[in-house]
Amino acid sequence: MKNYLKRQEKIFTKAQQQRLEELNIMIAGTGGLGTNQALQLQRVGVNKIYLYDYDQVEITNLNRQLCYGKKDIGRPKVEAAAEFLNQFDLETEIVAVNEKISLETEVPKDIDIIFDGMDNFESRFILDQLAEENNLPFIHAGIEEFFAQIMLVLPESKLRLKDVFAGSAKKEIPAVFSPTVTVTASIQVLEALKYLLDFNDYLENQLLHIDLLSNQMEEIDLK
Amino acid sequence: MALKVKFYSLFRINLKSSGTEYEVESEISIAELIKKLDQEYDGYFTQKLLEEDRSISSGAIILVNGKNILHLEKLESKVNNQDTVTLFPPSAGG
Repeated sequence: MKNYLKRQEKIFTKAQQQRLEELNIMIAGTGGLGTNQALQLQRVGVNKIYLYDYDQVEITNLNRQLCYGKKDIGRPKVEAAAEFLNQFDLETEIVAVNEKISLETEVPKDIDIIFDGMDNFESRFILDQLAEENNLPFIHAGIEEFFAQIMLVLPESKLRLKDVFAGSAKKEIPAVFSPTVTVTASIQVLEALKYLLDFNDYLENQLLHIDLLSNQMEEIDLK
Repeated sequence: MALKVKFYSLFRINLKSSGTEYEVESEISIAELIKKLDQEYDGYFTQKLLEEDRSISSGAIILVNGKNILHLEKLESKVNNQDTVTLFPPSAGG
């Protein structure tokens, strides 16, 4: 076990901790959700994080995208995020991939799960298809104002993201801010770990709706 | 048991309600359900769930017992007492 993980030792069995430290993660989109996911996953001590994005840092990102500051404006996001994460000198390997996700994207062979860090449904449907083709689990989240939804799509699941969110497209840019983004990304990380580490209590054919204005979380059964 | 309609996210906030219930005499279509909801909520759901051409809005999800009505019979999908209809605008941001 990495020596800086001592305080989480009692949460996991030895086998779970070992598995945790072997996990390789793909984060698709290093915006609000993606930067928060990366920070959490690095702190829990996974083996490797692949960061995918093709965009540059913009001033409007800085209200929620925790790996960037004003000095990073104009830089490729994955480069700035990798530099930020590496400054902590922890042992998780960070791999920056400056590439737009498409159906031609070659998903790394060694990953255990894909994290949704996208900001539109068109890209998410592509990601969901990549996950299905590569037989990988995929954890979706989307945010607006005080609200979010999370869905874990398992490799064997017949119910895909496009089945539930068929027809979804946003006409306006949704309002987003840091507290909702951070809470939602943290729950994505928790759900992914519960599934990958065999806690036997994770979202399956369910949509988790999060309402942080009323402090309510509700599971919606899907078919 | 009545026909349950549950609202989430911005619908819940806009309407200050988490949902409603109807006892129906026989099955009704989602299009008819929207008319009932409009009567109770002052035309809100036609505005939020439908485009001007009366197709389903890209900014709304309608589930019947957990299944998207686009994979059923769209606005002609039938619901009855004991069914649950879930309505929400999908959160797209990240």
